[in-house]
Amino acid sequence: MTRLGLRLTLKGGKEAAVRLTIIVGAVAVGVGMLLIVLAGMNGINAQNARSAWLNTGSVFGPGPVTPGGPAPGPPNTSPVATASDPLWWLSSTDQFETKTIDVVDVAATGPDSPVPPGISHLPGPGQFYASPALTKLLRSTPASELADRYPGTQIGTLGPAALPAPNSLIIVIGYAPAQISTMPGAAEQASINTSTTHISGANGWDSNKLQVILAVGALALLFPVLIFIATATRLSAARREQRFAALRLVGATPRQVSIISAVESSVGGLGGVVFGFGLFLLLRPLLTNVDFTGEPFARGDLSLNLTDVLLVIIGVPLAAAVAARMAMRRVQISPLGVTRRVAPPMPRAYRLLPMVAGIGELGYFVDVGTPKGTGGQILAYFSGCLLIMAGLVIAGPWLTLVGSRLMASRAHRPAALLAGRRLSDNPRAAFRSISGLIIALFATSVSVGVITTILDRGPSGTGSFGTSTLLQQFGGFVGRSVSVRGQTGLAAPAVSDQLTAELRSIRLVQGVTLLYTDANSPDTLLVSCAELSHTPGIGRCTPGAVVAAVGGNLDVNPFDVTGNRATLASTVWPAAQISPARLAGLTVDVIVVETNRSTAALEQARTTLELAFPDQNPPQTLSDIDANSTRSITELRQMTDVVIAASLVIAGCSLAVSVTGGVNERKRPFSLLRLTGVPVGVLRRVVALEAAVPLLIISVLSAAMGFLAAGMFLDAQLGYTLRAPGPGYYALVSAGLVASLAIIATTLPLIERITGPEVARNE
Amino acid sequence: MSVPIALLGLLEREPSHGYELKRDYDAYFGRGKALPFGQVYATLGRLARDGKVLPGEVEPGAGPDRKRYAITPIGKSEVETWLDTPIEPEPHLQTVLFEKVVLALMLGRSAEHYLDIQRGTHLQRMRELTELKRSGTAIDALLADHGLFHLEADLRWIDLTAARLDSLTAMVRS
Amino acid sequence: MSASQAADDAGQPAPILEAHDAQLSFGVTPALRGANLALVRGEILAVMGPSGSGKSTLLYCLAGILTPDTGEILFDGQRVDTMGEQERSRLRRDHFGFVFQFGQLVPELTAEENVALPLLLGGASRSRALDAARAWFEPLSLDGLERRRSGELSGGQAQRVALARGLVSRPEVLFADEPTGSLDSLTGEQVMELLVSATRRQGTTVVLVTHEARVAAYADREVVVRDGKANSLSAGRVRS
Repeated sequence: MTRLGLRLTLKGGKEAAVRLTIIVGAVAVGVGMLLIVLAGMNGINAQNARSAWLNTGSVFGPGPVTPGGPAPGPPNTSPVATASDPLWWLSSTDQFETKTIDVVDVAATGPDSPVPPGISHLPGPGQFYASPALTKLLRSTPASELADRYPGTQIGTLGPAALPAPNSLIIVIGYAPAQISTMPGAAEQASINTSTTHISGANGWDSNKLQVILAVGALALLFPVLIFIATATRLSAARREQRFAALRLVGATPRQVSIISAVESSVGGLGGVVFGFGLFLLLRPLLTNVDFTGEPFARGDLSLNLTDVLLVIIGVPLAAAVAARMAMRRVQISPLGVTRRVAPPMPRAYRLLPMVAGIGELGYFVDVGTPKGTGGQILAYFSGCLLIMAGLVIAGPWLTLVGSRLMASRAHRPAALLAGRRLSDNPRAAFRSISGLIIALFATSVSVGVITTILDRGPSGTGSFGTSTLLQQFGGFVGRSVSVRGQTGLAAPAVSDQLTAELRSIRLVQGVTLLYTDANSPDTLLVSCAELSHTPGIGRCTPGAVVAAVGGNLDVNPFDVTGNRATLASTVWPAAQISPARLAGLTVDVIVVETNRSTAALEQARTTLELAFPDQNPPQTLSDIDANSTRSITELRQMTDVVIAASLVIAGCSLAVSVTGGVNERKRPFSLLRLTGVPVGVLRRVVALEAAVPLLIISVLSAAMGFLAAGMFLDAQLGYTLRAPGPGYYALVSAGLVASLAIIATTLPLIERITGPEVARNE
Repeated sequence: MSVPIALLGLLEREPSHGYELKRDYDAYFGRGKALPFGQVYATLGRLARDGKVLPGEVEPGAGPDRKRYAITPIGKSEVETWLDTPIEPEPHLQTVLFEKVVLALMLGRSAEHYLDIQRGTHLQRMRELTELKRSGTAIDALLADHGLFHLEADLRWIDLTAARLDSLTAMVRS
Repeated sequence: MSASQAADDAGQPAPILEAHDAQLSFGVTPALRGANLALVRGEILAVMGPSGSGKSTLLYCLAGILTPDTGEILFDGQRVDTMGEQERSRLRRDHFGFVFQFGQLVPELTAEENVALPLLLGGASRSRALDAARAWFEPLSLDGLERRRSGELSGGQAQRVALARGLVSRPEVLFADEPTGSLDSLTGEQVMELLVSATRRQGTTVVLVTHEARVAAYADREVVVRDGKANSLSAGRVRS
């Protein structure tokens, strides 16, 4: 039987060959996409795993280990890495232009101190290792702008095992234990962290959270891929049904027909898998350039493990066989399967239920608040989204039916009538061809809705001063929320006149302003109006004022990232009743350097400040502060964009294959219609309407559902109101729809070719 | 179709006078050729002689025809036999086929039954001709084909009539 | 008392195929409203009747393709209507052959492979099945067409290939549903001639559904289906 199946599949003449080619091609594209997704996931995980060591000591935030005291073993440390000699460890971040530099200060307490990945031994006092990208940067930048920040000499570069991305900027600086122990935040660590669970977002992702996000992304891609493969294997199902019915008539048992059908689809599936792997290997070098997370992959990150390979090799042909088998169900029942088919029951309104349930679930969380824990939130939200997504697919046929009935009953022209009747005759098949696009559109709308709103809320409106105004903040300000090292409340150091003079002497530095804190009014910062006039990035004084109160009459910290600082530069600060003389005696809380948008000046000022205040958080521009808070969101957006782009491509392929297949299958009825005098134009319109009408109707619904879900998520999780998406979204969606319609249009010339009068002849 | 059977058939319906028989014969079977009165009475005489009809009492009144004739059991069985006997399936039998159907309907007999046995007989003949065609010479086959096509035409008529029996009945009985 | 016993009592051979009061509806539409039928081995029975009368349905029931709602179908004394699908498939494969009006050849296969199909399905080796299939090409005047695909055959040729396929497994019963329905008179006659001579040679019983008298005339006797009813229990004689 297997041989007969193979014979039918492989040597079945031209038509069978064409069908096999299309199936193999479609499965290959699907498999290729699947492999890219899997490799991408692996790549993101690999990238993430390589950032684990940077989180040493910050896992669970165990706090500094008191020297000499027992080191509380962090639960996430690998037992292998445990050493008897702890390692002094202090990790922090620094900025250069818009790039983040990870700075790791270490000091060995003995020969057995753990060594971070990528280097063979720890740097001694006065030595450092830098990542290749940072090494290059150190060499190409004047020392006063960057290299001066890091004491000592470079003794080597960090190996690839230590680099999350090839372009990561990391430096590991060696100290003597006595030296490092005085640095705030430094602690003794018994081992280097190797786990990626429970790490914060600053360096990589909590791998549990990441898995959920990746799983959702993979699912969002898997849906269209599976639909695509199913569409391809169902190609010319009518023809197959006819053939299998003929086989059944001469006495093939249902089992035999199943075997033949399974052999046939498995051959398509297997061939597709083989070519899919080929496609993947061909595309892999190019993929390294695809921006999955905002950080490029290292060579070898995009690799497949054995599980992935086995999953695809076994799973895809199996899925193809199952899909074909489901399509064959009717013929298995009777040898008259084709001639005497019982019409499948029409879809009913209860198909809307899952979608309503999904909305209900999200609405419930809006009402009662979010569940505890990040995992719970993600689960609650994504399960709701998945429910709505599945609900759209389930409700689709019913909506198609309703739309088509409406079209048929309102039709004045034969094309609309024919299309309406055909759609309502088999709404499932009609919807199947567009379901991939509907899902892609839903996912796009949700992510665009959420991300647009979050980014919109975020301080994107810092104006032209965002990248030119550098702030050195000390720990004294109560409302401070940004804390890279996690040490608020450090005693503010004295700011010498020499330092301000040095800063002012840097070429292109426009002005230096000191913001003082007054114990009497801890919510207010005080500033001399003479100085403020040189740093317009943070506002100006009321005319005539000598000293102004910054943030005094605002509820929010002026530098708080969640505040709306679009107007910071144009803010007019009220006068404060304090003399300039008394002002100079107060404690400095913030040093503001206005650099007039010169990178060199900015970095030089930054270097100067870092050298002056080595124990403080490094100075940041207003944009840096923003960037930090939205970094994970932009990474997420990057991933989402990749997923959306991929699923749109697959959905488009799916549409093309199913529309072509549909036309091909209706060769005979169409050619008979043509024989009876129906012009080709009408047939073209029928085909176009059949695909376009459900597409447009359900697209609108899908987009609406997406924004509804996004709105509910924002409301429940963050208390935000949904912002309308920007023109980019509309452009994307219109482009997608136009592309889909174009795909449909490309099949139209086919109609004239394949519905010639010779087709109507009996076979 | 013979005049005696036709008259017997008409009499089986109800006892009739000679002029009534002539009138009905002309209406249903005459096909534009009236039956002479002489032939009616001569036939009735012969039928009476053979015991197939029974002349009634002479009724009072004027005119040549004052006897009502009724059918006898012998006459009835003759009609029955005639109806139940399919005619030889030969070309140009339409008139006979037609008369059988009309008479059967008129008498409330099963015309369908008649058509069925006629179909069977026709098919039997067609089988013979087919056999002849298969086993005989080319000339035999040609002749057989000719016969087959004509018989097929008859059969089609039979099938069509069978399908129209309801409306025919309504017409004949009116 | 069953009809087969009755036949035995009357000294006739036991019928090979019987239908007793078979009834079948498609939804609310009755297709068969009581079919009684018996065929003896080697007999050719023509099932006639106007279109829509239920003749094809009767054939499907007799062949075990459709199952009657009530009534019995017997093949060689065995109940066919109570068999499972698997069993009926096997019955069709091993004991029945089919020739239909059109659309019965598998387009992907060559003519000889189409003919060999029932043997292949029955588990015969490829070479044996093809040899057996080729043996049918000459008697059916199909020589030289062994490698053609169904699309490359004329209607009469395709029908003869279908006939060869119906007969290749030497079935006990051949079911033919309007086998000449899509052919002109002469071609149809050739197909019928081949069908009758081949089945007579093999002693195959034939159920021949047709609305054409000239096709029915090839049969030993006929049964007329009218409004889903058929009655022909008296098994006919077998013509020698």
